[in-house]
Amino acid sequence: MSRYGLIARLSGLGIVTICCITALAQPVIFPNPLSPRIANYDINVKLDTEKRMLYGSETLTWFNKSADTITELQFHLYLNAFRNSKSTFMKESRGISRGFKLDKEGWGFIEVNKITLPSGEDLTERMEFIQPDDGNPDDKTVFRLPLPKPLAPGKSIVLNMDFTARLPEPPFARTGAKKEYFFVGQWFPKIGVYIDGKWNCHQFHAYSEFFADFGVYNVRITVPEKNIVGATGLEVEVEKNGDGTATHFYHAEDVHDFAWTTSPEFVEFKGKAQDVEIRVLMQPDHADQGPRHLEAAKAAVEYFQNWYGDYPFPNLTVVDPRRGASGSGGMEYPTLITAGTNYGLPKGVRAVEMVIIHEFGHNFWYHLLASNEFEESWMDEGINTYTEIQIMNDKYGPVGDGINFLGIKINDLQFQRALHLFNADVDPIMRKAWEFYSGGSYNANSYAKPGLVLTTLQNYLGKEMMQKIMRTYVERWRFKHPQTQDFITVANEVSGQDLNWFFDQALFSNAILDYGVERIFTREVKKGEGYDFTLMASKPDSLIRDDKGRSDAVAAKSKPKIYESGFYVRRLGMFKFPVEIVATFEGGEKVHEKWDGQELWKKFTYLKPNKLVSATVDPENKIPLDLNYTNNSKAVQASSLGVNKLSARWLFWMQFLLDQPEFLNILSAITILF
Amino acid sequence: MILKSLQHGFVQARSNKRMVAVYYLANLLFGLLLMLPLRAILSDFVGNSLMAARLAGPLDMDFLFEFFKHKNEAVSVFSGMSLVVPLVYWFFLLFLSGGALAVFAHGDKYHPTMFWGSAAKYFGRFCRLALWSVLFLAVLIAAYLSIIGIERLLLGSDPYQNLSYWKGWINLGLRSFLVLLFGLALDYGRIYTVLTDERNMRAALKHGIKFAFGNFLQTFGLAFMLLIIGAVLLVIYNPIANSLSAPHWLIVIMLFFVQQLYMVFRMLLRLTSYASQLHLYQQLAAEPVPATATSTSDLTMGDLGVAT
Repeated sequence: MSRYGLIARLSGLGIVTICCITALAQPVIFPNPLSPRIANYDINVKLDTEKRMLYGSETLTWFNKSADTITELQFHLYLNAFRNSKSTFMKESRGISRGFKLDKEGWGFIEVNKITLPSGEDLTERMEFIQPDDGNPDDKTVFRLPLPKPLAPGKSIVLNMDFTARLPEPPFARTGAKKEYFFVGQWFPKIGVYIDGKWNCHQFHAYSEFFADFGVYNVRITVPEKNIVGATGLEVEVEKNGDGTATHFYHAEDVHDFAWTTSPEFVEFKGKAQDVEIRVLMQPDHADQGPRHLEAAKAAVEYFQNWYGDYPFPNLTVVDPRRGASGSGGMEYPTLITAGTNYGLPKGVRAVEMVIIHEFGHNFWYHLLASNEFEESWMDEGINTYTEIQIMNDKYGPVGDGINFLGIKINDLQFQRALHLFNADVDPIMRKAWEFYSGGSYNANSYAKPGLVLTTLQNYLGKEMMQKIMRTYVERWRFKHPQTQDFITVANEVSGQDLNWFFDQALFSNAILDYGVERIFTREVKKGEGYDFTLMASKPDSLIRDDKGRSDAVAAKSKPKIYESGFYVRRLGMFKFPVEIVATFEGGEKVHEKWDGQELWKKFTYLKPNKLVSATVDPENKIPLDLNYTNNSKAVQASSLGVNKLSARWLFWMQFLLDQPEFLNILSAITILF
Repeated sequence: MILKSLQHGFVQARSNKRMVAVYYLANLLFGLLLMLPLRAILSDFVGNSLMAARLAGPLDMDFLFEFFKHKNEAVSVFSGMSLVVPLVYWFFLLFLSGGALAVFAHGDKYHPTMFWGSAAKYFGRFCRLALWSVLFLAVLIAAYLSIIGIERLLLGSDPYQNLSYWKGWINLGLRSFLVLLFGLALDYGRIYTVLTDERNMRAALKHGIKFAFGNFLQTFGLAFMLLIIGAVLLVIYNPIANSLSAPHWLIVIMLFFVQQLYMVFRMLLRLTSYASQLHLYQQLAAEPVPATATSTSDLTMGDLGVAT
């Protein structure tokens, strides 16, 4: 744990407590700000549970920490993605997100009713919707606000906004309502990021997440009194309003987003991992899985802090989405994550553990290191998938860390590799999130492939070195906006190697990696035939004689047999990567080789008294990026044992299914429709 | 009575080893039809990779994913065959059941003329019986849907997942129960047809349903016991098969042997069910129903419905 994290946590919690008691001023968690605190929000919001409406007022204090004079601001209105079927999000997703569709009356929206300066000057008329990514005039997820006077570097501006929003139903693309349950994300007018001399404020796309600046949030949430609330940051106080509602005051520092949830039905579980208080909000029908969620969250916190650095925040809230609301599941917000489960989920199916470890990981790769997920989605999702693979394997592995149920054992790494296999060369990893060939390609290149890329790199550099790289990356770039090159620079610097050759191929090209063994042979070295021009003239009766004057034939009988053996290793993809090779000979002798993998193929030959049995490239499967493990090896003599066994098993199950009662399958098929 | 019928059926089935062999060979043949194309594709993909030997141990999930990625024709080949082969197999079983029931009805041992002749004789009728039984199936499905509807009324459209979960298991049990009822009607319809030489299959089905429901405790009890025996056999088989996982050719042969032994038992069980149901029917029928032909030697080509 880092020094400032500990100090901040201890002092911050104390101060928050003091402030709760005295209610004198704005609470403080971190006396020394951890981040630049560019975008700071004070928001009052009231939820109308019947109409799914939010009535909010927001005061934004934005600091111009650039060297430029700012003449306009740009804002996200994410909820307008669900305004109608013509938004860019709806067009790209065809109205389906994570398998969910909005109800007929489930559309959501956000309206900015009024924007004023503290002086009272009304800027509302200056609002103008823009579509910087696709020019879709029906998309209202971004607006610009020309300022009445330019904002000089180092100066700040305060804006007051009134807004009204309706949440989609059911929760769709992370946010929305389902009966008594509300998950409220991307819900308020949110300023974009001014970076590299311009506004970076993308429209809301079907395949994209977010990008924002850090700040301080003071949010007062008014909900029915009976409701339980969970949110980003710390709950400072709850005030009953006397009208059946209560206002929950949440305070968060050095975060770049704020989400909250409410339901009267949540069942709470509490625990602690190291110095982090964990609160789990379960649905009543999943309450028996509360301890399981808590344990997974504890494991996540401990692994990340032990391996990758300090999580400076004092708390973490895990939300279990309601049935029919899994559109809000598996999502990350600062200090608040959502999971997802089903009643009866077996312990051996570690979906809960995987999703909690993954979503908490975002509190490092998305939250502490606020990369631009619109433009470099791999820097959050991909790095996070890599850390998820490592933690799952260490905690639940080495075999069956993802699924270990009814004899079926699958590792998380194998899941990710399967995803990659089916979208291996469609796109490079480096692409804007909405510009991938398909949703499958976005998923494969944002999640799975980067996970495999970094696991491959870890196996190449060693686990310790890779953890050192990751720790340095976290330490150096926390509370900033790292970009791909920043990660590469850290990797090069810490490893002491120029790894650009690797990252160029892995991130910036769609080159596939596949090495295979071919043309394996082993044959006895026979006596030579024909003339040997140095000997034949004087000894025409013998072609070749040894040093004792014996002819080849005689010498061969008295000498042990020699075998010439060999094989070719081929690079079947464009991705060049050094590989290890092992040649196995009769008697168990193994010869280890290395090849830089630069050429298209390399031949390996041996003269040995034993026959070659087999050759394998990457024998320990250290290169999960390799598209085909099956062609990684060849044996001189083919074995049909495995195929026979699989065939026998397959035959048996076919026989068994055929023997089921007549009409069983037909009836089942019909009834399954209902 | 159930146990007596079961015992009687088992003895009768066991004494007809050739018939068990016919059923087993049919099952093996159709199983091979589904297995061999996949084996060819698998063999081609594995080649002489070391994976071929590794697969003799526990299943390698990486291999499985790679196989479907690089040999996706396997999926389409299997999808096509999995529609056709079970259908043909089902008709073939319908065909064989005429022979088996006739042999049991006459208390005889397997004789090719009797078995195959009766199979041919009753096949057309059994097909008609199966078609009529679709009506009964429709009634069962309607009953099932009504129960589902009542469940929805009771639980609403938004029940807690724990309720949905247990409802799912209950519905699965209900579906299995309905399948069993359907099987009972079809089985006793066939038995009635063989014993009385009934040609009106609507009447046979009606009789089958009437008998099955009229003696529900006995007919259902017997069918349930047979189901339990099948399940117990599977429970015994599974750990034995799973323990045979060492990558050695002897183990693979042993595995194959154990698997096929289990299938032979299943075929014996199938024939036991025919024989014991027939015995139960004969015990429970209001008036004993004589078989249309009393012995194999009495069976003429005319009896078999073949023009002479």
